[in-house]
Order: sequence, then C-alpha cells, then structure tokens
Amino acid sequence: MDRRAFIRTSALAAGGFILAYEFLPAARGATEGVSPIALNAWIKITPDNWTTIVISQAEMGQGIETTMSAIIADELGADWSRVRRENSLVAPAFQNPLLHWQFTGNAESIRSFNSYIRTLAAAAREMLTGAAAQKWGVNASTLRVADSYVYDSAGNRQASFGELASAAALIAPPPNPVLKPRSEWKLVGRVSQHRVDVPAKVDGTAVFGIDVVQPDMVHAAVVFPKALGAKIEKMDASLAKSMAGVIDIVPLGDAVVAVAEKYWQAVQAVAAVKVIWTEPPAGAFDTAKIDSLYAEAFAHKPFESVVKEGDPAAGLATRRPDEILEVEYRSPWLAHAPLEPMNCTAWVDGDRCTLWAPTQGQEMCQLVVALTLGIPKTNVTVNRTYLGGGFGRRLIADYAVLAALTSRAVKRPVKLIWSREGDMRHSSYRPAFIQRARFALREDGLPSGLEIRLVAPTILKPVSPGPFRNPGIDPLCVETLDEIAYGIDNMRVDFHLLDVPIPTMVLRTTGAGPNLFFLESLIDELAHHAGIDPYHYRRRLLQRKAGNERLLAVLDLVVTKSGYSPTAKNGRCFGLACGRGFGSYFAQVVELSVTSDLTIDLHRVVSAVDCGQVLDPGIASASIASGVVWGLSQALSSELTFSDGGVTESNYDGFRILTLPETPSTETHFIDSNAALGGIGEVGPLGIPGALSNAIFAATGKRLRVLPLKRHAGVQTRGVLNLS
Amino acid sequence: MKIRITVNGTDHQLDLDGETPLLWVLRDELGLKGTKFGCGKGLCGACSVHLNGEVVRSCSLPVRYADGATITTIEGLRTNGKLHAVQQAWVDEQVPQCGYCQPGFIMSATNLLAKTPKPTDEDIDHSITNLCRCGTYERVRKAIHRAAGVSAPP
Repeated sequence: MDRRAFIRTSALAAGGFILAYEFLPAARGATEGVSPIALNAWIKITPDNWTTIVISQAEMGQGIETTMSAIIADELGADWSRVRRENSLVAPAFQNPLLHWQFTGNAESIRSFNSYIRTLAAAAREMLTGAAAQKWGVNASTLRVADSYVYDSAGNRQASFGELASAAALIAPPPNPVLKPRSEWKLVGRVSQHRVDVPAKVDGTAVFGIDVVQPDMVHAAVVFPKALGAKIEKMDASLAKSMAGVIDIVPLGDAVVAVAEKYWQAVQAVAAVKVIWTEPPAGAFDTAKIDSLYAEAFAHKPFESVVKEGDPAAGLATRRPDEILEVEYRSPWLAHAPLEPMNCTAWVDGDRCTLWAPTQGQEMCQLVVALTLGIPKTNVTVNRTYLGGGFGRRLIADYAVLAALTSRAVKRPVKLIWSREGDMRHSSYRPAFIQRARFALREDGLPSGLEIRLVAPTILKPVSPGPFRNPGIDPLCVETLDEIAYGIDNMRVDFHLLDVPIPTMVLRTTGAGPNLFFLESLIDELAHHAGIDPYHYRRRLLQRKAGNERLLAVLDLVVTKSGYSPTAKNGRCFGLACGRGFGSYFAQVVELSVTSDLTIDLHRVVSAVDCGQVLDPGIASASIASGVVWGLSQALSSELTFSDGGVTESNYDGFRILTLPETPSTETHFIDSNAALGGIGEVGPLGIPGALSNAIFAATGKRLRVLPLKRHAGVQTRGVLNLS
Repeated sequence: MKIRITVNGTDHQLDLDGETPLLWVLRDELGLKGTKFGCGKGLCGACSVHLNGEVVRSCSLPVRYADGATITTIEGLRTNGKLHAVQQAWVDEQVPQCGYCQPGFIMSATNLLAKTPKPTDEDIDHSITNLCRCGTYERVRKAIHRAAGVSAPP
C-alpha cells in the first residue's frame, strides 16, 4: 500500500482525517545514514474542529499527558480547549525515537520525544496551511495559524483545521518543516498548565488498570510462594473449587490463580488452596546470606575498571598509612510498592490476545505475552490505562503474562489483581548497592588519591535485553560514578557485577540514587577532614575540572536560596548535595533540627535544578517535590530484608514510606540555561539521602553511612505515624 | 446474607457473603470504582469512605457491619453537579500525581473539615494518615487549608 492509499484508508477507518506521514528526523538522518522510516499517526482532526492527539507515554503522575499534548498543540497552533487525547497502542510510530523501543521511564519522555513530536506537529501545520493556500490561491507562507484556524494575511478569510483536514491529508508531508521559535511558544515554556488528568483523579472517574471492566469478565486472585523461585510441587484445590462463585483454580508454575465471578470470591478461594511449594533453587537464604555475597565479592572477586585517572595508588602512597581512610556506604534493598498493586485484564480468544494494562512497558507486554502464548506479536493488542504509580516496576510484563495465561485457561476475559503481599514479595527489586572508598588528603585538603569500589547486581538487564558494551559493567549500576564531576587527580572506580538469587531491576533513580548518596556524603567527609566547609570544598573541586559551569550555577543558587550554613543557625542545621543525573543538574539542601536522642524534625528542602529548558514550571516543580519525598522515604524508612529464601516484608507496615506529618516544606528553583532538555522525574530524589546524612552530620558529628537511617542509625522522625 | 445500605443517596438491597469487605461491594457489586484497593489491611487509606459520618477503611470492614448504614464515596461528593469544595481545592492546588490514592485522601480531608472547619497543621498531621507513594503530602496540606478558607459551613 502506498502512502496516499494508507492515508485515505486511515481517514475512512478513523471516521475523521488522520495526518499521517513519513519523515526522517534531520539529526538522525544526518548522523546515522540510512534510518528507519517512521509512519506516524499522532494527530487527528475531525470536521467539528477538534484535534485528537495520540499519547505514546504512560501517564503515571508525571504529567506527561498534559505536557506532550501541549507541545504538539502549541506547534500545531491548535486551540487548547479543543484538544482531546487518546492513548497509543503499540506501533513503531510510538517508539522512543532515540531508543527505538516503546516504554515510559528513565525521565526519558520529554528528552527523547520533544523535537520528534514538534517536528510532526510543525509538518501537520504546514499541510494545513498548504491546504488553505490551495483553496484560496495564495502562497502558504503568507498565512497565519492560531487556535485551530488558518487566516490569510489580510484577515479576510479563515478556515478551521476541521474544514482543511481532508485536503491537508493529501498534501505531501514536508520533510523539513519550520519549527516555531521558542519566543512563539504559548502552551509550554512560561505557563503552568492545569493537568488534563486531574479532574478525573479528584472525582473518582479516572480509569486505572484495576478499574477495567469488560463484557463477560471474571476475576482472578493469585498467591505466590514466599521463597523466590519456588514452584508448585503439590496442590489440592478441591475445597477451593467447591466454593461459591469459583470458576477454576489455575496452577501456573510459581503462582496459583483462583478465578471466580467476583474478586472477593477469588481471594477467598485462592487462600483455600493447599499448596506445597518446592525448595527454592537458591535455598532458604536470609539477609545475612545475601550480605555475605557482597562481602565475599569485595574480598575475593575480580573488579572491572570503570574510571582510572592519574595514579591513585601512587597518590595514596604519598601519605602516611595512618592518613589513608577507608569507608563503606550502603543503600538497601527496595520495592517499588506503587499504591496500585500489579494487575492486568486479559482476553485470550484463540490466537489473539487483548490486554488492558497499567504498563510502562507497552511493547514489552506485547512481546512477552506473544512469546508466552506462542502467537505473533501483532496478534497481541495492548491497551494502556492510567497507572497508579510505576517507578520502574511496570516496565516488565509479569502481571500481563499471568493474566493472559489465566484467560487462556478459563477462556474468558479475566481481570487479575495481586494482593499487596504478592506485589511486595513476588517482584523484582532495586538491589543493595555497597560502595567502599579509600582516600587520603594532601596538605591543601585536596585528595591525593581516591579509590572507589562498587558491588551491585544488575538493574538494567531485565528491562533492556541488549548486551552491555562490557559484559562485566551494567551501565546503570555505575551511573554518576562513571562521570564524577569533581576534579580529583588520582582516582579510580571499579565495579563488580554481583550474582544474587533475587530478581533485580531498575527503580526510580536507577543507580544514580545510591551512588550519589555515597559520593555526596564522601565529599562531605573529605571537606570535614580538610577543615573546609562543604560548599566551598565542592566549589574548589568542581572548578578544577572543565565543563562544570551549570553544576556550579545550581550549587550557588541553592546555597543562596536556602541560606545554607555549614554550622547551625537558630538551631537549624543544613546538608548539601549536588550532581548531574538524567541529563539535568541539581543541587539540594536539607534543613533540619535534631535532638540529642536523634529525633529529627525536617523543616525544609530547597532544590535548584537546571534541566535545560522548563516546559511546564508547575508540573516540573511538583515532580521535584514528589522526588524529594521519594528520596526521604529511601533515606529514612524503606528497606526489604530476607528470610526463608524470600522477602520478609509484605505490606506498608513492614516496608515503610514517608508519611504526611514527616514531610517538610519544599521549594524548587529552576535555571533555564536553554541547553538540551534534561530529565525531571528521576531528578528530585537524587541529592536527598546525601544531603540528609550531611545535615545530620552537621548537627551531631555522626556520619551515617548505611540507609535507611531509621533502621540502622536509630534515627527517629517527629510526628511519624504508627501504622502497625 | 441480606444487606441494606444507602450509598451516595441510593438504597441498595444485596444478598451476599457478609464477610465481603465493603470495598469490594462498592467496587464490584455497585460499580463504584473510585474507591481504591491499596493494601487490604487498612494501612494506606486508598479505600477510605464515609460510613454514618465517620471515615472508615473499607478494605477491612466486612459488609455485615455496614448493614443499614449510610455511605458516601468519592462519587457522592458532588452536589448538583458541582465539585465539593475539597475537590475544587484539590484541582486548584493540582494535588494529584498518579492519583490512585487521592480519592482516599479527599474522603479523609472532607471528614476532617466537617468536624474541624479550620484545622491547624497539627490537626492535619493527626487526621490525614493516608499514604501516597508519589509524595503529594505537601499539596494535600495546602489544599486542606485552601478548602478550609472557602468551605461553606457544614
């Protein structure tokens, strides 16, 4: 089918007019030679002059539905009050244009899609002006576009997008449409849009995965073994099958699923199944056993070199042995624990499967379910709902696989909802990161040498199956330690990729979070030993290396805005951290007071962020504030432990997250450097654990190197809720 | 067992297992999906509804205890099609992120304001015990203060 035929067919099929076309993004075409051609159908216009924008990215609270459609509507010249949005299905047109994979995560959406969707929208706008030019017999360059209308230069004639769309769809898409300069942006850049998903989220009408209803649908509940990797050895479902409403009990390897007319019936039935689980392949390990794997790696395993600058051994050898200090930092095992438990609705009908899923990994769901069912990828339709939190967990497809297999077994559409206990104990986790550093200082306080060793299991492999450039280095595990901004002459970073009998994966802040906790605390330690205040010590080290202007700027700004002081002011103490992550620069100050029994009051967190350009100040600030709370949960409260070969914690009483009374006030200041867009969603938490630990050091002289602080350092917070 | 409940002003007579948590009665029998399942143990508050004027965590309340009760869910807060002042404050402050826990927060906040029309920060600390994984707490606090400023007398 040629392109025009495709456009006509699409127009008929959609009952409107689809501006779909092929184009080569200039940058990709220029740098990569022959590039794949994307056929796009992002923008639809109906005769009544509504513009429908297809959203490729999962809305999980980051406001992407609003910002993405605002970028497109702005460039197109659409009337914001006549814009509708719909979620994409899986198609090449909706893949991340830089990574060629359809997913939402890594604070990647705006960074990767901005120029792609702007170009799409500009081309659509030129097709609309082209149609008006043909109609009126004038040169398209004389025409003006605003609020879903095209106007002629004299202001005599106007035509709506709706009137022009059918003719526009027949115009060849311009390969190099002219983008609006930033000064002409109206919907992004200066204004904070009210988020388009908020009304439905305050009146209860927003449809999350758990709210999906399909005709003839039945409900499923699932239990898993406590031990990770155990399978069903024996199962007696006779009692469960006799219970009211029960349709079937489906054994699925490491899961038993009960299917019933009502969800509560399924919950009761699955609890009534008697299951004997096999011994897990890794045995009944516990936290001590897992900790010993890290210790053994430090003692005996080979390390890969990530960074080597100068001669660290020689640098250290210039100091006396008693001047060489060694420290160890540790970030804990974590669950994502989004408020909406894993769930998926599936309908397997012969060799076709339809899913309704709250997923960050729409293409992953399609691929994995197709492979599981042994059907072509194109036979799997993945409808995306709102996500009740993602944080990385919903990049993988395990919940979709269980729902699809259950539907195939009972031959009905099935909504499968995990219990919170299942969600927490049968997941893939952000593993513990342990960093060790050896360092010594010269007379002038600068490091004479610094050796860093990091041990962590993979976090990238489960979400990105491609091979690593160096098989021994997971690039996300070493994030930020592979590009330390501080000018340290003799430095090395080495990494050991640890094997553990626990499924691991990315979680919000990926490897940057734990590594920045370590690095930013360590820099504070160096400053303390050097007798220099942490702010000026950072400045001095940053000025020793080229290219740190943006980082220095956010550091200076946060110090000014927060009133940072290395010593207590009015009983308040301050901790500082800064860095680069996800393409953005940040600096953060935590302000707190501490009583002698280590009870802390968190007063204020100030963040300064340079993400290149701020497309929506309100949404960006909310995202940073949200990240601050995430960072505080990680630093203070959250940790998983292991017993009997599985996760000990099973709900929010054991796996603690920050509560309202503990939450400090936040303020965020942006520097608009007009540089390339950086990420936002992952940035807010990055400095928090380090800044918090540094603030506690400033207040107490105690250097806390193991997270979470409540569990390992005896820290309390005032006003914490007693949930248990 | 036979259960009679009034939900958002509508009477319902149901015949079901009295041990069924109110949450699943609301969601699956009455189709009111705004009330959410988060933890199943009354820890997170995503399932909060009003029962005879009190906030309850419906995931942990067998429906037999609600027999004869008057219940309000997030869907029942509008009056004459207009958002409740608390919902409007939530829009004005742009509180939600993922939004999943927000109906529970809003039900807790409306109940707090019904009892304490001008709550202090301390009142809010003691009353709003819901969990939000996205970390919207600061805007929740602001929105409650905003609603307190504009709330009509109960």
